Amino acid sequence: MTGLVLAYELSDAVLAGPAAGIVVAAERAEAAGVHALLLGDRPAARPGRAAPPAAIVAASMLAVRTRRIGLVVDAAPAYCEPYNLARMIASLDHISGGRAGWRVVTGPDPEADANHRREGVDPAVGREVRAAEFVPLLRDLWDTWEDGAFVHEKDVGRFIDPDRVHVLDHAGPALQVRGPLNVVRPPQGHPVVLAPAAEPLLAPEADVLVAGNPDRAAASDRPVLGTVTPFVAETQERARELHARAGAPRSDGDCAVLVGDAASVAGQLAAWADRAPVDGFVLRLPLPGSVEVFTDLVLPELRASGRYSGEFRAGTLRGHLGLARPANRIVGRLTAAGAERS
Amino acid sequence: MSERELHLGLMFWATGTHAAGWRHPDARADAAYDIGLIQEVSQAAERAKFDFVFLGDRLASDPALQHSNPAQISRLEPYSTAMAIAAATTHIGVVVTANPTYSDPYAIARLMASLDHLSDGRAAWNLVTGADAAAAHNFGRDAHWDTARRYDWAEETLRVVRDLWDAAPEPDGTGARRIDHRGEFFSVDGPLDVARPPQGHVVVFNAGTSDRSRELGARDADIVFAGPQPTLAKRREYYADIKARAARHGRADHVAVLPGLTPIVAPTTEEAVALHDRLNALLVLDPEREVGDIVRAGGIGEGHQRNLTSASEVFGVDVRGNDLAAAVPSSTLAAVSEEGARRLTEITRLTRRTVDGPDRITYGDLVHATPAQLSHVVVGNPEEVADMIQEWFEEGAADGFNIYPAYVPGAVTAFTELVVPVLQRRGLFRKEYGGRTLREHLGMAVPPR
Repeated sequence: MTGLVLAYELSDAVLAGPAAGIVVAAERAEAAGVHALLLGDRPAARPGRAAPPAAIVAASMLAVRTRRIGLVVDAAPAYCEPYNLARMIASLDHISGGRAGWRVVTGPDPEADANHRREGVDPAVGREVRAAEFVPLLRDLWDTWEDGAFVHEKDVGRFIDPDRVHVLDHAGPALQVRGPLNVVRPPQGHPVVLAPAAEPLLAPEADVLVAGNPDRAAASDRPVLGTVTPFVAETQERARELHARAGAPRSDGDCAVLVGDAASVAGQLAAWADRAPVDGFVLRLPLPGSVEVFTDLVLPELRASGRYSGEFRAGTLRGHLGLARPANRIVGRLTAAGAERS
Repeated sequence: MSERELHLGLMFWATGTHAAGWRHPDARADAAYDIGLIQEVSQAAERAKFDFVFLGDRLASDPALQHSNPAQISRLEPYSTAMAIAAATTHIGVVVTANPTYSDPYAIARLMASLDHLSDGRAAWNLVTGADAAAAHNFGRDAHWDTARRYDWAEETLRVVRDLWDAAPEPDGTGARRIDHRGEFFSVDGPLDVARPPQGHVVVFNAGTSDRSRELGARDADIVFAGPQPTLAKRREYYADIKARAARHGRADHVAVLPGLTPIVAPTTEEAVALHDRLNALLVLDPEREVGDIVRAGGIGEGHQRNLTSASEVFGVDVRGNDLAAAVPSSTLAAVSEEGARRLTEITRLTRRTVDGPDRITYGDLVHATPAQLSHVVVGNPEEVADMIQEWFEEGAADGFNIYPAYVPGAVTAFTELVVPVLQRRGLFRKEYGGRTLREHLGMAVPPR
């Protein structure tokens, strides 16, 4: 990992606004070399305001309006069918040319639960077990097509190589899926999976761990991102004003809140990078203008300190994060079984 | 409806809707995963003032379909694809196929509303219940539900989705209310989190010929389309039935019937016939088998394969072991079954080859006419194709067509550049969009809350 990984979590204020505004925010972030955008997705009403569009739809719009920046969408296993989500994320990876990610949303949400009850299904029940089974199942579904299975040889009339497409027949405690998926293997092999660092069942299945306050992050063998909500302005005073107007939160859930001018916010991020086991930050940008302010004021400070490159290292989100393209798990299992037999 | 207007949609199947379309030299065999090409094809349809681009879907993959129906093996997911199309266009509608059998009503309401917002009112939902048993196993179910249960479930889904749209907030956050739905299958509190769609309700499509499907279409859909029917008379019967059912629900002017149509078109009739022959020559046939063995074709239900055994069964004469290029003796053709005779008429209509005469029907023609057709096929020059469209439109068989390109992008370009100008010149089809939303293209008002 060279330099800090930065991801912008766009606010509802931006995402619920006109499409053009969402695109402008994404273009600003991309021009500054921000590695990824995070699009929240919570299927429940907010009192008194309209919520942003579904993340997968907004992300697809951004995928065709940007070229380099990663696009991470939230989705909760509690409200998704694995087959549907696997193909949505895989499709986003194809449409974006390998820039898709999925942040696994866990934890209880009674309001969203109340929108998703159907015959024999209560999403409030068995959430953790379902989520833990869900993540490796999606990886397996992405692997039901081997790389290169889609041969489309016009001369002999061979469209696919059926020997490189696999039935999965997954039958676990919570989920049963036969497969194969109806989308060929994504460009990244597996789109990047981000999971809460605090979920012991999920963390081992993730590519990237998302922690809350960087001071409470734990070291890991995979990239860890702390989560920070910055209130930043030209002056300390103005930043404090913005913070006060937002209700002066001391923390944002389990995430840290920073209040200050560009130099002090950049200094605090740098200090965390030096002393906490984090490889970068998810920046929750709380206000409509936060993307512009943070990009124009704080990023130059981070660049000047040598901690943030502002350059994309690669063409894929995995590349930005320094993650290798995963081998095909199904092929691996078949190979291992074959070796055992011989 | 005052002045009836012809409507045109583009059925996007990346491989083309002809089973060998992807093998044509002008086809892009990798079109399914090239979003830039999908956008270009959609832009071509928009330049031709089409009402919509239509994205079909299937919730399973069957590699065994590669010679019979390759488009059904894999494709991009339709919501994200539709959004990518909408982001590259300004007027054309985008139709997402979503199957309520395997989706939450809240998720459908939310995804469709999101697409409608980010496309500025151009979204539509093609409601299917999935006639494909394979999908059940991808969603943790042992068995595929029967038609009655699928339609009961779909109808309750549609009620919940529309209630959610009607109870959704305005963009400024006002007006949201809970729906507290407690039905046979679903318990949904609401309100919808996303604002009410710009179109009020996104446009709803439904296809099918069963009684339940016709009734759902006439009562609840805005656009009804159906698979091929054997004759124009049957087409008109279907059209009249949908309109009569719609009238019984007080919706006589609110349901448009748009059959699928595969145009094989070229500047001259001879070139069009040659193109049709060339596509059929690229088909990979199924291996011959024992007569009477039940087979699957198309992956969806039972069907007929492409080989001389199946042709023998369908035409009622033994044609096994013959050279496909050879002409079939008139004596053999005279002995075909009633169904076989009907298909011979179709073969002549498409190939211009006849039962007796200098240019006779071949064994290959019988094989190619054996599996069920996806849609009505017309082969001809631009005027001939336009004549057929005009006849159906004026004779009460169609309000427009969902155009199935046999291969992509070539067949799209051929239709938009050769046929659409003829339809415009005849005053049948718009030269400019009159509005911006799909409802406006279709002449349908925004429903009140």
